[in-house]
Amino acid sequence: MSSLYYLLARSFRNMRENLLANLATICIIAISMLIFSAFSLITLNLTSFLQLWEKKIEVIAYLKKKIPPPEVEGLIRNIRLIHGIDAVKYVSSTEAMAFMESKLGSQKNLLEGIQSDVLPPSFEIKLKQDYRNSTKIKEVVSQLKEFSPIEEVQYGQEWVETFSALVHIVRLMQWILGGLLTAAMTFIIANTLQMTISSRREEIEIMHLVGARPAFIQIPFYIEGLIQGLLGAALAMVSLQFLYRVFLSYVTPSMAGWLKKFSVTFLSQETVAWFLLGGVVLGLFGSFVASLKTLKYSG
Amino acid sequence: MIHVSHVSKTYPSQVSALSDVSLEIPPGEFTYVAGPSGSGKTTLLRILFGAERPTSGEAVVNGVHITEKGLGTTYPLRRTMGIIFEEPKLLRDRSVGENIALSLEVTGHFGKKVREKVSQVLAEVGLQAREKDSILYLSAGEQQRVAIARALVHDPPLLLADEPTGNLDLRTTDDVLKIIGHLHEKGTTILFATHDMDLLQRYPHRTVYLEAGKIMGNVRT
Repeated sequence: MSSLYYLLARSFRNMRENLLANLATICIIAISMLIFSAFSLITLNLTSFLQLWEKKIEVIAYLKKKIPPPEVEGLIRNIRLIHGIDAVKYVSSTEAMAFMESKLGSQKNLLEGIQSDVLPPSFEIKLKQDYRNSTKIKEVVSQLKEFSPIEEVQYGQEWVETFSALVHIVRLMQWILGGLLTAAMTFIIANTLQMTISSRREEIEIMHLVGARPAFIQIPFYIEGLIQGLLGAALAMVSLQFLYRVFLSYVTPSMAGWLKKFSVTFLSQETVAWFLLGGVVLGLFGSFVASLKTLKYSG
Repeated sequence: MIHVSHVSKTYPSQVSALSDVSLEIPPGEFTYVAGPSGSGKTTLLRILFGAERPTSGEAVVNGVHITEKGLGTTYPLRRTMGIIFEEPKLLRDRSVGENIALSLEVTGHFGKKVREKVSQVLAEVGLQAREKDSILYLSAGEQQRVAIARALVHDPPLLLADEPTGNLDLRTTDDVLKIIGHLHEKGTTILFATHDMDLLQRYPHRTVYLEAGKIMGNVRT
């Protein structure tokens, strides 16, 4: 039997003797970490959704009036010089009307009597991949507005900005909640271990008397905190996986249109590993706090 | 072995427990520290095993210096000695053997050697048949013998005994004294605190008398 085996055996005996308190602690850690990881999962998917949406973003620059083809060519050349522009397509009033008719299909008779020049000519502008986000789009749009023939620029900015703000709020809530839950979990782990330490006070005193190193006395309590943190985090990940599968079964089939292309993803293996590690660190920290409070011994 | 030089101890409540105590105990000697309750016997022993720091003066025990600065850590000193108290301080949820083995396990010893050593020391205190028994089934005298066995299982050169017979009847006290006397014969240094003056007459050894924290006499047999 080695020291490690002995220390592990002591840790498990401590846990067994305070089984209810340990189980309660593990459950509370699991619930806290589940809340935090659920926010992470929501943020991850909202961010992916935003990115997918941004990929579809196209800027449309409406022109003030009909302009002669040579001027259009010159304007296209100048627009292409703007950083982030991938492609520029001129859509004349006639082409715009034809597009509308095709969209209306059997109801295109609604457009009867309407002249095509009611619709302004425009440029359909595709952006490079790294420019398809709300910040970069604004840079491109402000440069487009400097061209005098351009009257208005549209790119669905309200949606993009609102969604970006939503993602930002969720992320902020995730970290605020994370901070509060971390403090709560540390407090709970420390309290459970203080109970364990109190119940073993006599043994600790005797161990000091017969010459045990302080580390030899403290390590089983650190192991106990580590196990609590690890099991709590593992339980949180299993519960989150379960909730994720429930979501996939009941919610995603009802997604319609292009949302169907969006796949709701689970946390990556790396993120799950970070959560487990987080549980371990939290458990160790809680036991360290408990040992600072209660393992000081002068006798 | 033990060198105490002008040691005083005043508690924060301003109670003076020891006042300018100086004492020399050579290796292999059996010494009583005798005196009434509150004379400073326990305080002196607590200083010697590092549980208290002197307010002034210095004690050197097995080469470890104990001053008013105290010890950074007590375990190196504690491993050089065995300590027994009036209360045996045993773990009630463990067997006799497990209580004794604890003393070796905390210093990183496990397995067959520990079992052998536990059996050997139990034989020395006359409890070889009780190794597997729970502490709860032992009499006060037997519990004190287990405490002695635990204090001696790592073969320390020094035994500090703080009123170990205080709770025992005459016959059991004799049993304990015989065991400790036997250890002394084998070369262990003994420092034995007691208020029992009869004991000093029945088992005479060098006696240091303490009263109100001061040495009032030092009688060599």
